[in-house]
Amino acid sequence: MDIFLSFQLLAAALITGVLYALISLGLNLIYGTMRLLNVAHGDLVMIGAYVAFMAFSLFNVGPLVSMFGAAVICGGLGWLAYRSIFQRMLSNSLLLTRLEENSLLLFFGISVIIQNLVILFFTADRQGYQYLSEIIEIGDVRLTTARLVVLIVGSVISIAAVLYLRFSMFGLAMNALIQNRDASAVVGINVDRVQMSSLVIGFGITGLAGALISVMEPITPVMGFPYTMSAFVIIILGGLGNIWGGFLAGLLLGFLEIFGIAATGPEWRSVLVYGIFIAILIFRPQGLLGSGKAAR
Amino acid sequence: MFKRLLAASLVVAGTLGIYTTVQAADTIKIGFSIPKTGLFAPAGPSQLNAYLVWQDLVNAKGGLDIGGKGRRKVDFVHYDDKSDPAQAVKIYEKLITSDKVDLVMAPWGTQHHFAIAPVVERHKFPLIGNTAASVALRKVKPGYLWFTTPMMPDNLAKEMTAMLKSRGVKSVAIMYNLLQFASENVQFLKPALAKAGIKVKFEAKYPPDIKDMTGMLTKIKAENPDAVLVHSYPGDSILYMNQAREVGITAKTQYVMVGPAIGFFRGMFKSNLDGIITMGSWTPTMKGTMGAGEFYAAYKKKFKGHEPDYLDSAEVFVSAQILEQAIAKVGLDREKIRGAINSMTFKTIYGDVKFKGVQNATIPAGFAQIQKGKIEIVWPKQRATSSVTDKGAWAK
Repeated sequence: MDIFLSFQLLAAALITGVLYALISLGLNLIYGTMRLLNVAHGDLVMIGAYVAFMAFSLFNVGPLVSMFGAAVICGGLGWLAYRSIFQRMLSNSLLLTRLEENSLLLFFGISVIIQNLVILFFTADRQGYQYLSEIIEIGDVRLTTARLVVLIVGSVISIAAVLYLRFSMFGLAMNALIQNRDASAVVGINVDRVQMSSLVIGFGITGLAGALISVMEPITPVMGFPYTMSAFVIIILGGLGNIWGGFLAGLLLGFLEIFGIAATGPEWRSVLVYGIFIAILIFRPQGLLGSGKAAR
Repeated sequence: MFKRLLAASLVVAGTLGIYTTVQAADTIKIGFSIPKTGLFAPAGPSQLNAYLVWQDLVNAKGGLDIGGKGRRKVDFVHYDDKSDPAQAVKIYEKLITSDKVDLVMAPWGTQHHFAIAPVVERHKFPLIGNTAASVALRKVKPGYLWFTTPMMPDNLAKEMTAMLKSRGVKSVAIMYNLLQFASENVQFLKPALAKAGIKVKFEAKYPPDIKDMTGMLTKIKAENPDAVLVHSYPGDSILYMNQAREVGITAKTQYVMVGPAIGFFRGMFKSNLDGIITMGSWTPTMKGTMGAGEFYAAYKKKFKGHEPDYLDSAEVFVSAQILEQAIAKVGLDREKIRGAINSMTFKTIYGDVKFKGVQNATIPAGFAQIQKGKIEIVWPKQRATSSVTDKGAWAK
């Protein structure tokens, strides 16, 4: 049992948790403000990873720089998606009632298109690169420099995002939208602008996370789906639309995965993760920090 | 008016019909499915590319030699099976009944081979399997399906144990992917190790989509076995390579089942891949083979300097060579082709291949090791191009 005292595992758990928190942040925004079931969420991670890979192999630019490029590109995709598809759907009250169901199909289609476009341009071959791969030893813990950097950068960005959304004027507007859409419009919040921003920011942060992940994992067009699944588990676990809750749930999931499977065995991963997910929902259906069903 | 339109379209259809039959007489249609999307999409190119290289080489000679009576060029008809065996079944049905292909070639993956076995049996289409390996293959009654692979799990276990003994290994740690081939390997490996007196100090299985091996590797490091045997597929192999280095696994024998034979691995891990042992039966310069150098050169030329995957691509090319030689002997009659495959000895890039029942009876299971950036066959000794060396320290 002294495996639990291993700082090596702690480091791995923190890295996994921070990345989960970062990835689910975007989904929380999108689902929270617009009730859009973005099943293409993991594919944005994939796009971010490919952007970072291209930046490295073509221009020798590391992911710490290209992550901003990934954020911009994915944010741009969010803007495009909003203007071409969702703006109209969200402003039409008739379409709004069926938006959640329609969005599932819509995003599924977007996911398939994105994956196949990537396969067309990059082939389905695995890609990957080594960056900052020197090992750093901190006491008992051995980490590649890249993973340490991902931990630091990921933590800074996710905490900064959470704080921004909590305390800035704009963040308050988003939270207002998450709580009650119609009331937000009544108090003078530009619902259209806030919605577009949450799609852009949501996509952008996810792309950034993808760039960070690209140093740690092989890059393939199909790498996104597990992240989509985990992101949905996390946002529900943390309380839908609750940014802080999502952050904590992301960390929790990371710890659960790493320490849980160290205690039982990797083959138990899905049973553990989904088992605890279901258990928490049984006792607290609104999620860890959720506060009852958000009014529409 | 309508009658005239109908008459006109019938004429056009008739002309097209004649046209297409004239076309069909010129080329041979060969059909197969390939995972272009889904979980196994990254594995697809190794197979598809090998098929394409074979097609190029054959068509450059004017086409397949049809029983000595002239040559006909090869046309492929292939579809994406989305990594789903059920989809592969539908595709092979379509290829045979609707696209009316002359012959079929194998899909990727053990599960897919098993799934389409009933289809090819029912339609009596001979199929030379390649990327499939399972002892369950032996239960397939000799019919229309053969398996080119020498990597049968029980043979691999026997050879692995022999190789470990020859290196004086006394203790091992085993990690394996839950997928069928990996699990079967371990199923046969454990008793073989026990018989040889080699102790298994650690054993763990993991799901195919594993994202972090730190827990397992930390425990393995604490146990400090002589050898670490990782039965992994490329995705988890990459994870192992990165995290084993991070955690600091220093065992002098490290085996990574599938992955290191792919060119991409050597590019990504460079000198860290030296000393890693993997499955392998082939190098471009091995003696006693046919077409090895030609295949290697053609692949590199067609795919911008990339090397073929020494495992999958090589095996796929062998299965294509077998089909080519069978057709050259007996022509296109499918029953005659079946007879030829059962009786002939084929000269391939692996060496001589002869089937006994459904299995490749002449090529032994073997291992390769990356040495100074090159892939060398290190086991069994009679086919080796180099001897096994220790895995050195990981690069800083």
